[in-house]
Amino acid sequence: MKLSDQLSLSFTNLMLHKIRSILTSLGIIFGVGSVIAMLSISEGAKREALAQIESMGVDNIILSAKKPPPMGKDVSDTSSNSNYETYGLTEIDRQHILHMDNVASIATARNSRKPILKGTTRLNVNLFGVTNDFLEATRSVIVQGRWLSPADQDRNVCVLGVNARRGLFPIQERHVVGKVIGVGDDAYRIVGIMENTKGTTIQGIGSPNDAIFIPKAASDAIYGKTSFQRVSGRTSIEVVEYDCFVVRVLDVSYIDFTSKRIAAFLEKKHNSLQDWEMVVPLDILKQREQTQNIFTIVMSSIAGISLLVGGIGIMNIMLANVYERRKEIGTRRALGAQKGDIIRQFLFETIFLTSIGGSIGVCLGLLIAGVVTKYANWPVAFSIWFILLALFISAVIGIVFGTYPAWKAAQQNPIDVLRAE
Amino acid sequence: MAAREQEALFLGDIRKTYHTPSFDVPVLKGVNFSVWKGEFIGIMGSSGSGKSTLLNILGLLDKPTSGVYRLDGTSVETLSDFELTRIRNVKIGFVFQSFNLFPHLSVRENIEVPMVYAGASKSLRRKVSAEMAEKVRLAHRLDHRPTQLSGGECQRVAVARALVNNPTFILADEPTGNLDEKTGNEIMTLFHDLHKAGTTIVMVTHNPQYEPEYDRVIYLRNGRKWRIVDNVNHTEEEFDTRETQ
Repeated sequence: MKLSDQLSLSFTNLMLHKIRSILTSLGIIFGVGSVIAMLSISEGAKREALAQIESMGVDNIILSAKKPPPMGKDVSDTSSNSNYETYGLTEIDRQHILHMDNVASIATARNSRKPILKGTTRLNVNLFGVTNDFLEATRSVIVQGRWLSPADQDRNVCVLGVNARRGLFPIQERHVVGKVIGVGDDAYRIVGIMENTKGTTIQGIGSPNDAIFIPKAASDAIYGKTSFQRVSGRTSIEVVEYDCFVVRVLDVSYIDFTSKRIAAFLEKKHNSLQDWEMVVPLDILKQREQTQNIFTIVMSSIAGISLLVGGIGIMNIMLANVYERRKEIGTRRALGAQKGDIIRQFLFETIFLTSIGGSIGVCLGLLIAGVVTKYANWPVAFSIWFILLALFISAVIGIVFGTYPAWKAAQQNPIDVLRAE
Repeated sequence: MAAREQEALFLGDIRKTYHTPSFDVPVLKGVNFSVWKGEFIGIMGSSGSGKSTLLNILGLLDKPTSGVYRLDGTSVETLSDFELTRIRNVKIGFVFQSFNLFPHLSVRENIEVPMVYAGASKSLRRKVSAEMAEKVRLAHRLDHRPTQLSGGECQRVAVARALVNNPTFILADEPTGNLDEKTGNEIMTLFHDLHKAGTTIVMVTHNPQYEPEYDRVIYLRNGRKWRIVDNVNHTEEEFDTRETQ
């Protein structure tokens, strides 16, 4: 018997009982649907996490200044309402780290700790003195005007993050480049607007979109290395040389080693004082991936069980089907159908059943994923591979659970069934 | 009628014993006869005479316990299931009492089934099925379903189906059993027409009414050949069927 005849025979038989076929493959439909939905949702979550972490740069090590926990003396000293503290990353740290192997460059930022006001309202915006490579290090782009240039080093110019621009100027005001903003006693001319579209947040800085950037040299000249801050009635004087280093490494494969070396150096240099923090985006990435993988395994197991149940359901129906069609099988055998022809006929029927069920399941899964995106606002991601995988699994289920009923059909003795009236 | 020169099939001392755990049931106790090409043979016998078992053996659906079965010059007792199925497909045309048509297939598709299993191309199938339908006078019904046909028409479809692979012989199992007398006679006429055209036919029946219509009638009793009525040479033989062993 020709394969094309075989396939069309199996398909025709399925189409004879459309409702039964659909009902039979319900298990597969829901099983595959849940697989697709699960894969889409977990892939979406994964991609979002990835994008977020990648936006910090997988080849970066981010170091930030952290106000150390108060020491014993400071806590008991309530008589004085002011204190003076030096902490954070220093120029010496920078130079040492820069000379380490595998370190390509260090972009730095220092917070001026000056309140940014609009009228009398304090905005949630900080002013940073940054090196010229800071824009690139934070994966941000210029949307208007230009970034700081080496020629700007001692000029009073600034670049606004998009959110800072929205805070300072009404949205209707289109041309803010060239305007001047005042911060404390100083005035800065805006040369550009920058935006970080990846939602990066950097330890010690926050989102670059919320910041105003001025050249490092200008910041040094105007504010020096000291910043004053009033915190709940106490005036604290904080001396922080650098709030943030974005260390870029030459070779990502050695980032683990480099980060450990930097940590060991800072530990020693800062006398074990916890006034700095380190974030290695790649590490977070790996951790996230691990968690994600566990989630995927658990979800796959559940989906796998539902597919198994679906497969058993199909086997059941196919066995009943074989019994019901004994006479047809016997007649076919008498008329010249080989055992192989009968096996293929029933096996193809099952495979068609599971594949069609699988296809419907794919549509259902995409629908569920779509609904989830729309109403739960979870990110979902589709891949052609999920669909191919789901269809492949469906076909495999068809083969696995169709073989026994098909074999059973071929074992029917034509005499018995032809005589049984 | 036909010159008895070419052997279509030969049965030599065919025995069939069914084994049950407690005792053996001998159903066929040594059946011998030949069928010549072009012959119209009737096999008759009452229930329990062994004719169904003989039919299954003739149709290669069952194997004899012992004996020789030669079909078109080939000994079939040692062949595998695959080879037997192949022979069933191309050398035997089955006609069943209850037609055994596939209700969801059209008349044309029903006729084509044995050709499909023989691996014939679609165009050849179309051509042959049309010819066969013509032969059984159902050309105008080709696209109907069996459920839209009368019993006689159904049996004619089954006859057409039996003919498509140009078999060595047609094996008909009570082909008129499910039909009223008039329709049964029509089917018998159809078989006669085929016979005149040279087709070898072996018909198993218990209906003695048609006895004069066959070239030879082989009567079975008790698992043995009992009587042979030869309507061509007008002779009659009787055999001893008493238990001798």
